Amino acid sequence: MDNNMPQAEPIKVKLQPNIDKIRKDLGNSDDIVIREIAFGVARAAIIYTDGLADKKMITDFILETPDQTTERDNLLEALKELAQKLGDYKEITNFQEIYSSILSGGTVLLLDGCSRGVSASTQGWKDRSISEPISQVVVRGPQEGFTETLRTNTSMIRRKIKNPNLWVETRQIGKVTKTDVAIMYINGIVNGKVVKEVRKRLDKINIDGILESGYIEELIQDETYSPFPTVNNSERPDSVAAALLEGRVAILVDGTPFVLIVPTLFISFFQTAEDYYQRADISTLLRMIRFISLFIAMVGPALYIGITTFHQELLPTQLLISLAAQREGVPFPAFIEALLMEITFEILREAGIRMPRPIGQAVSIVGTLVIGQAAVEAGIVSASMVIVVAITAISSFVITGYSMAISVRMLRFVIMGLAAAFGVFGIVVALIALVMHLCSLRSFGVPYMSPFAPFIPDDHKDTIFRLPHWAMTSRPRLISQRNIIREQMSRPAKPQK
Amino acid sequence: MSDTVKLSLRQFTILILLYSVGTTILVIPAPLAADARQDAWLAAIAGWLLGLVVVALYVSLARLFPGMTFTAFLELTFGKWLGKLLALPFIFFSFIGSSIVLYYLGNFMTTEIMPETPIEAFALLFAALLVMGLRLGLEVLARTAEILFPWFILLFTVLALFLTPEIDSQKVLPILEFGMKPIIWPALNFACTASLPLYVFLMVYPVSFQHKKKAGNAFFTGVLIGGIFVVIVTFLSITILGVELSAENLYPSYALAKKINIGNFIQRVEILMAGMWFLTIFFKAAFYAYGFITGIAQLCGCKDYRPLVLPCGMIIVASSFVVYPSVAAMSEFESTVYIPFAITVGFLLPLLIYMAGLVKKRINHQELQGAGTDD
Repeated sequence: MDNNMPQAEPIKVKLQPNIDKIRKDLGNSDDIVIREIAFGVARAAIIYTDGLADKKMITDFILETPDQTTERDNLLEALKELAQKLGDYKEITNFQEIYSSILSGGTVLLLDGCSRGVSASTQGWKDRSISEPISQVVVRGPQEGFTETLRTNTSMIRRKIKNPNLWVETRQIGKVTKTDVAIMYINGIVNGKVVKEVRKRLDKINIDGILESGYIEELIQDETYSPFPTVNNSERPDSVAAALLEGRVAILVDGTPFVLIVPTLFISFFQTAEDYYQRADISTLLRMIRFISLFIAMVGPALYIGITTFHQELLPTQLLISLAAQREGVPFPAFIEALLMEITFEILREAGIRMPRPIGQAVSIVGTLVIGQAAVEAGIVSASMVIVVAITAISSFVITGYSMAISVRMLRFVIMGLAAAFGVFGIVVALIALVMHLCSLRSFGVPYMSPFAPFIPDDHKDTIFRLPHWAMTSRPRLISQRNIIREQMSRPAKPQK
Repeated sequence: MSDTVKLSLRQFTILILLYSVGTTILVIPAPLAADARQDAWLAAIAGWLLGLVVVALYVSLARLFPGMTFTAFLELTFGKWLGKLLALPFIFFSFIGSSIVLYYLGNFMTTEIMPETPIEAFALLFAALLVMGLRLGLEVLARTAEILFPWFILLFTVLALFLTPEIDSQKVLPILEFGMKPIIWPALNFACTASLPLYVFLMVYPVSFQHKKKAGNAFFTGVLIGGIFVVIVTFLSITILGVELSAENLYPSYALAKKINIGNFIQRVEILMAGMWFLTIFFKAAFYAYGFITGIAQLCGCKDYRPLVLPCGMIIVASSFVVYPSVAAMSEFESTVYIPFAITVGFLLPLLIYMAGLVKKRINHQELQGAGTDD
């Protein structure tokens, strides 16, 4: 773009050549409005993008143009004074500034006989109002989610953390799209090295367009060849605020409600916002259930395959007989059977998500029921396999981080294959390999598996267990390395005796 | 090997523990019961204490060369060529050790669990795991150990706890029927299997803990706790299986796990228990291979050992197929050759090297002092 359009060209003194150039450069686009008005003794042009700028503000402005008496020398000053009424303004001198202003909703004012112009921010486009986050639902807790507008999102975080140390840095990424990307962190809590690293990685990005934070995620993550996400995302302002308070960095991208959070640990994907709003004991129980679900979702079908194929002695006799009776009419080995059902299920799930919402749910439920039931009756799969697949599927929904759940779904097939060939030995080998891979990952310098490995006893306040808030006295050690102390140990208030 | 990997003391202890438990826990009750009869558990305790002496030697040896690997120290002390020559037995022992462990694993799988699968399949899969682990490096292995260790403890506790009802304490009587004498050889055997191979940590420990005295304690702690597990398994094996069955079984611990029976519902869970051995065998094989590969890298003067991992891993797999022609050859080797071999490489040579190192250090010291007074 930059090379075929000399944008840094300065504004000319005469108005008409300027207008012609703008029209030409923007390809006579219909949504670019150029209105010429009489401004005092001179002519002036008001340039804005229809739909992005607030029309009412501009109309009000035009109505207030000064009378003929203003002297020609003071026109620019008068213009600035007026622009002040529109909101923030700045003086501009070249065409690049003109374009960046009008294309992001601003209004540019050019004067005849003056090589400088004024740009005022008149942003006023239609955006989605704040609504419930769809991907992270809670029963108790704030019901607001981020929107597609960067400013709204930063303001939602600011409303939660009213502290001068909450800093925002904004930059434009994407050579064509010029998408606004903001980094947010709490100065004094965040680890400066991480902020520097985030800046460095963002500055390195050299791409034509950023349409969603997923682009940024893929471009800044530590390890590309890994099924595990090393960058977390959230749609919830409270989750992001909590992450900032722990010393993490949030990356907000204009145009998406999904905010990136770094550094991210493995454990992050098993924590939900609601864990901190409920009683600590209940949260701990739920966390444990999530870990059990992770285990089932990952090795459930593999264990079934391994045990029914190689280690039948493990099963109690009655169960073995009933399993054998079920499998009598099934022509496939357990592995093929499991593969069939798992793939069918994944197809159904994918269909359920992509279809128009009203049909989607109905089709997926009916599909699962009918296919499961019919497949068993037709003797293609055994009933126990349907149960295993169903439990696995439900378990994978329990994993709170969606990106983590997807990687678990993927790994399940690999482990199933190993179990089909080597039984429990294959599963153990797969798990050791998996743990090794997880231990080798880092997210912005922080070991992914901490605080399990390296083991940090103090950070276990918020992993499998969620201690009461009065006991969570420190921030995660490796994330916020500077300001560890969160609060003084304070027992909850008790009635005086 | 310029990259200094920092391990935490906890990680180091766990690594030592898992390594010394290694294959020992699976096989040791058999030779102990064969020689020491019902006193096998006493022999295990004796061997365990003997191991501490060995560790004391390694720790003091390691103090001579902080910040270096063992082979680098040899080259520094004995000159380039003699040093390389002296490193050869250690590298060879690590090589044979890793092949033997792979063979054990394959043999265990084919004889006990999946007789129809060719032994090569197990060796290959496990070696792939080793190659992956070694390529990822020491730090990752240590963290992996940290995560898997609780699972080992869990499985072991389940095993020991569920077996307690089966214990028949009469089977250990009479204690020391023939005096102390029959215990000595099996105790040596125990130390040779569990403690002497720990010399491979001389490639790790002085580099990772340059100035920490506590690391020596971690070494001791690891061996101490690791020994407890093996002693417990030997005791359970004698009191539950009896002397004859323990001695005849190639893998008594596995036979032991078959005895678990909770309310006629949880039974024959030996394959789940085997998960515990897969873990420890993995770390044993990994560190044998680490000793072998870093040793080779040092011999050839490579800066990084990682490029050598894949070829060396392939060699280890190939040699694991031929290291023992048969199970009979295996027991022959273990009862006759292995013990003197291990004592030579794991104890006598390090002892000589330690003394030589001490002398050299003193000479250097005097020279320095002499030089100081001349000026």
